[in-house]
Amino acid sequence: MSNTATLSTDNKQTWGGGKSPLSISYGKLMMWVFLLSDAFTFSSLLVAYGFVRFTFTTSLPNAIVKPFSHLSHTFTEEMQKAGLFVTERWPSPELVFNHFPFLHGIHLPLMFVSLMTFILIFSSVTMVLAVEAGHRMAKKEVEKYMLWTIIGGAAFLGCQAWEWTNLITEGASLQNNPFGPTAFAALFFIVTGFHGTHVLSGVILNIVIYINVINGTYEKRGHYEMVEKVGLYWHFVDLVWVFVFTFFYLI
Amino acid sequence: MDHIEHLEHTESPANMKKQIWNTFYVLLVLTVVDIALYFALLSSHSIYKNILFVFLGLVKAFYIVSVFMHMKFERKFLASIIILPMLFICFLIWLALTEAGYTFDSRLF
Repeated sequence: MSNTATLSTDNKQTWGGGKSPLSISYGKLMMWVFLLSDAFTFSSLLVAYGFVRFTFTTSLPNAIVKPFSHLSHTFTEEMQKAGLFVTERWPSPELVFNHFPFLHGIHLPLMFVSLMTFILIFSSVTMVLAVEAGHRMAKKEVEKYMLWTIIGGAAFLGCQAWEWTNLITEGASLQNNPFGPTAFAALFFIVTGFHGTHVLSGVILNIVIYINVINGTYEKRGHYEMVEKVGLYWHFVDLVWVFVFTFFYLI
Repeated sequence: MDHIEHLEHTESPANMKKQIWNTFYVLLVLTVVDIALYFALLSSHSIYKNILFVFLGLVKAFYIVSVFMHMKFERKFLASIIILPMLFICFLIWLALTEAGYTFDSRLF
């Protein structure tokens, strides 16, 4: 396109002032820079997790519990006796994250967290569809997709609250961990809590934008760029979840 | 002030909606592959397994950033401003894991 041609042939014109050299608005550029700094914060938390994880031997292979088998009330104690939940070894995630709402008493490894991942990816899709509708100035469509995004975010938060409650009831906290090393529970609560706080602020921002869209603020302004800016933040939250999911539940 | 004009908006392609849904399916399939591989490789403790999961995570991250966050259609210069600083993280990972290796040894002996 002509933009790129200008960039390569006439550098002075691109950086000479009077227009955005990156062809992006101030607000969007600042959102990107903020996301970069936030990426550093999350990276340091995940690197701290990686450090601690690396200092422990890996879990023993589980040959006792099969998926869909019966999950007793004393499951944690049984695992401790079987030597699968010991303080010297990192626990196997499939034995820790194995509950599902309304399906009490069935061993369903990683099923709930897969659902959470699916919800977050889906709300990311509805967000980008809202941005796309904003480009076409289709107010009704932006409203619809923003609402779905808010519902998705709220559903994710609800899932996380359920999972936390479950783990806390079993005795996990920042100082205590029935599944193995104390650091496992502490890091889990800190990192997922930090991510959850981001989701919460994302949902609040989405609600603010949603109200503005309904009131026609962006219709009057002539563009829906605010939706794009908040969209960037929302996708970033999804992006972080990809890595939280990989490191806490898969590795 | 007459040439403080419109920002030449980096245009989305006409088939943006299709691209969005395709990206969604890619992310969905990759997540299912993740879970399937987790159970298929449950008894393996190879470092390559971890590298594989991180690689799949990076592929998902690439799709989210490039299509959902629109980075594919922005200026290359903006992409480098945001992505190149992440190389510092690779350095941090290398430092932390080297150090963690020594801590691991000190736990054993």
